[in-house]
Amino acid sequence: MTVSRRTFVKSASAALIGLSLKSDSQITGTFVNESFQLGHQLRDRAKFPPPKQLFKVPVVIVGGGIAGLSAAWRFWKKGFHDFVLLEMNDEAGGNSRWGQNEITAYPWAAHYVPVPGPKAVYVRELFEDLGVLQSGKWEERFLCFTPQERLFIYGRWQDGIEPAIGLKQSDRDQFRRFEDQIHTFRSTGKFTVPMELGLSDSTADLDRVSFADWLREQKMDSRILSWYMNYCCRDDYGATTDQTSAWAGIQYFASREPEEKGPLTWPEGNGWIVRRLLERVGRFVRVGQMVHRISQTKTGVSVSAGETEFQAKHVIFAAPTFLAPYLIEGMAPLHDFEYSPWLTANLTLERYPESYGTDPTWDNVFMESPTLGYVDATHQTLRTHIERTVWTFYWALASGSPAENRQLLLNSDWGSWKEAILHDLERVHGDIRRCVSRIDIMRMGHAMARPKVGAIFSPERRRLANLSGSVLFANSDLSGFSIFEEAQWRGVSAAEKVLGKVG
Amino acid sequence: MGILLFITVLLIAACGLIYELIAGTLASYLLGDSVLQFSTIIGCYLFAMGIGSALSRYIDRGLAYRFVWIELLLGVVGGFSSAILFLAFAYTQGFQFLMYALVIIIGVLVGLEIPLLMRIIRSRYHFRDVIAHVLTFDYLGALGASLLFPILLVPYLGLVRSAILFGIVNVAVALWSTFLFAEQLAKAQALRVVCFLVLCGLGIGLAEAKHITTAAEDNIYADEIILARDTRYQHIVLTRFKDDIRLFLNSHLQFSSRDEYRYHEALVHPGLSAIPVPRRVLVLGGGDGLAVREILKYPQLESITLVDLDPEMTRLFSTHPMLSALNQRSFSASKVHIINADAFPWVDSNTDSFDFIVIDFPDPTNYSLGKLYTTTFYKAVARHLSAQGLMVVQSTSPMFARDSFWCIAETIKQAGLRTYPYHVYVPSFGEWGFVLAGFREYQYPTSVPEGLRFVSVKDLPALFQFPPDMAPMAMPPNRLNDQVLVRLYDQDWKDISH
Repeated sequence: MTVSRRTFVKSASAALIGLSLKSDSQITGTFVNESFQLGHQLRDRAKFPPPKQLFKVPVVIVGGGIAGLSAAWRFWKKGFHDFVLLEMNDEAGGNSRWGQNEITAYPWAAHYVPVPGPKAVYVRELFEDLGVLQSGKWEERFLCFTPQERLFIYGRWQDGIEPAIGLKQSDRDQFRRFEDQIHTFRSTGKFTVPMELGLSDSTADLDRVSFADWLREQKMDSRILSWYMNYCCRDDYGATTDQTSAWAGIQYFASREPEEKGPLTWPEGNGWIVRRLLERVGRFVRVGQMVHRISQTKTGVSVSAGETEFQAKHVIFAAPTFLAPYLIEGMAPLHDFEYSPWLTANLTLERYPESYGTDPTWDNVFMESPTLGYVDATHQTLRTHIERTVWTFYWALASGSPAENRQLLLNSDWGSWKEAILHDLERVHGDIRRCVSRIDIMRMGHAMARPKVGAIFSPERRRLANLSGSVLFANSDLSGFSIFEEAQWRGVSAAEKVLGKVG
Repeated sequence: MGILLFITVLLIAACGLIYELIAGTLASYLLGDSVLQFSTIIGCYLFAMGIGSALSRYIDRGLAYRFVWIELLLGVVGGFSSAILFLAFAYTQGFQFLMYALVIIIGVLVGLEIPLLMRIIRSRYHFRDVIAHVLTFDYLGALGASLLFPILLVPYLGLVRSAILFGIVNVAVALWSTFLFAEQLAKAQALRVVCFLVLCGLGIGLAEAKHITTAAEDNIYADEIILARDTRYQHIVLTRFKDDIRLFLNSHLQFSSRDEYRYHEALVHPGLSAIPVPRRVLVLGGGDGLAVREILKYPQLESITLVDLDPEMTRLFSTHPMLSALNQRSFSASKVHIINADAFPWVDSNTDSFDFIVIDFPDPTNYSLGKLYTTTFYKAVARHLSAQGLMVVQSTSPMFARDSFWCIAETIKQAGLRTYPYHVYVPSFGEWGFVLAGFREYQYPTSVPEGLRFVSVKDLPALFQFPPDMAPMAMPPNRLNDQVLVRLYDQDWKDISH
């Protein structure tokens, strides 16, 4: 066979192009766990078929996230079994859903619980039930392993996420003053987890300004401090400091004083808790049941889901509260509830990127990135040798209006999100495209409640949170923000209220 | 005829320069200080060339005959110069003396070459042309040699073979000259035979050069690498220096065959001899089979289970003749069961009970290895320990990494075990520490297996005494969520190296 120069040049350049594209074209993936179509049916007041069967049950829990599952767990623990839990999706878990591939289990959203303080009695009780807290000691294998967190700053990794290198004296002064302030707030006992226990009107002023404005008033304007405050608000609330109530900003720091080096975490994140809860209450859970109508009747409450009508005495509405006006007959529209859109992605890595001698950590954050970085799902493994792994990448679309960001989330295709994610990671891991084989992306239009200015002391929120009729609300958004302990506390509290009436 | 003559000049010039460069390079390699070596060698060499040139005036007759002999001599001395110097460095004390002697001999011979050659060909050309041509080709040859040497010869042939190759060139020139100057030679035929024999000698030298360098290099560079392997899990290197075989995993020394008996006897016997009726033993790590070799000295044992991450490692120490000789083929014993698994998950999921457990992991140099030194790990191991059983943990050096050693001891204590730390002196490691642990009070054994070289009933209690510079320190335990040990270890060794 003779090869002309032309063919040689052609095939050689094709080989070169092939090589340069190879790493990219190998990355596969899709959007997963899409549920907004179901939500949009409700929003658009779609016609649902009339119920074909009737089911009488004393209590119906609507929503199978942490709040709903916690209510169910409370019933089960108290020996009350006359209830059903209706979950719209095919899997329960809500913001604590998880996934699994041949490498590891991994989270789709919430991935840790800070070590609960003494006031979080229901969470402590749950963890005692799950073997996480044993005779006053936290089980080591559920506490986040060393090394926990790192921040990519000025071209290198530092331990911990709070910036510690490249600080000017004025930055240090501001961080110290901030810590002093937080210490004072903490000692008032008015910032607690769960938030409702410590909430006091004496702190209402803080809910009338944004966290950004409050920081400015305190003359805390250091660029690096502002970045860190923004990071914390984006991480817990999906919002920037100028969209967050100062009360919530302070709550983030002042409500916790861990008694143990944490947080608590598992490969599948809080999905581990969901799995343990489902082992206990799974038989009460009906998945794929989209509730489309809740109405008061003479004898109780009617709940329609699919082709079944549930006739109940009590309903615990544990689904996101913004859905309620679309479901509950006669309920007025809500004004004070706002939600942040999020994107999470699970990246399958065939190998770790070059680490240049640094140990990979659990939570990895990049300074000045719009994203929240990534969490390594195999970090909580007992193995010493890990080759392949899964990274969960978090991106709260925090800046700008939530409505516009929801459009952006829906209108951009998988390929552009994949590129955006890789682009962000590439700033830190130059060889990331050669490591990743798959990127699955989950889009959530209403991922978590946003504690905007006025949200905490909103009369609307407080009224819904303290109802005592036959429909009780239990979602974490009734706290103004979506965190595990709030969801669990509201779920258990609602169950307690119901037990007080039916028991 | 003319051009061939001048190519001869070019070749001999190249040979001369090559020998000089080789001597300079060798001296720089072996003695260091390349500026000093090159300066003195070039100086001696040029000076010796001057002597050669001066001596040339005393040669009156038989110019061509003597030229051929000079080429032959140069071929032999220059050609073997590098080999002679390597071996001299490896086996004698007189390297420098020999080196300068060789440089001077070669310099004198090279100094004779050009004046003789010019006189031989004087009659054929104008004097002006002789000078011009000879010097031109002389310098050309030098340029060629100086470029060839670093680019091709050193990287591809090495110093020994380069020298021999140019020795062959010198002898080839000699042979060639017997034809070129045939009319001026009486015994051309006899000279050709000599040339041929010397060529054969150098040819053999070229073929055998590898053995010369290996023999010499084995003696020059501390340790010969006899095996280097990248497995999925680690980089394994074995070196040998005379009778000392050393194993390095990821560049960390694991044992030296000269004193490993101290380490492995101390690792196994203080614990295993103290157990009344041991039946089942577990070894975590220890893929070199040396701990198992010691454990096999207890014939009453029913089974020995070894869990090591790296199948390459256990395979190597089962099959490699030199390595399986070291562990006395311990992996071939029928009661030994090898499991290649990650130790922590294996310990966590397995439910077997053992009377003696040996934990022999690499030092906690990173957070992955650090997991194998945590309270959670020791608690998991303790679940496998029989009521009368003991476990022993390789715990780094209480001398060089005192904080780390006592941190490990504290960690084991916090896992709910009684601890009995001890230490031994292993020359290749220094002071080394172990922690024995169990549920019961440890009592010194009343007998140990026959034929031990280090551990004895009489001297055993002394190992449990710590002098003030290694005395216990209050340390926090190492936990999965707070791996203080890795930071302590890092700091300990940093302090040593500063």
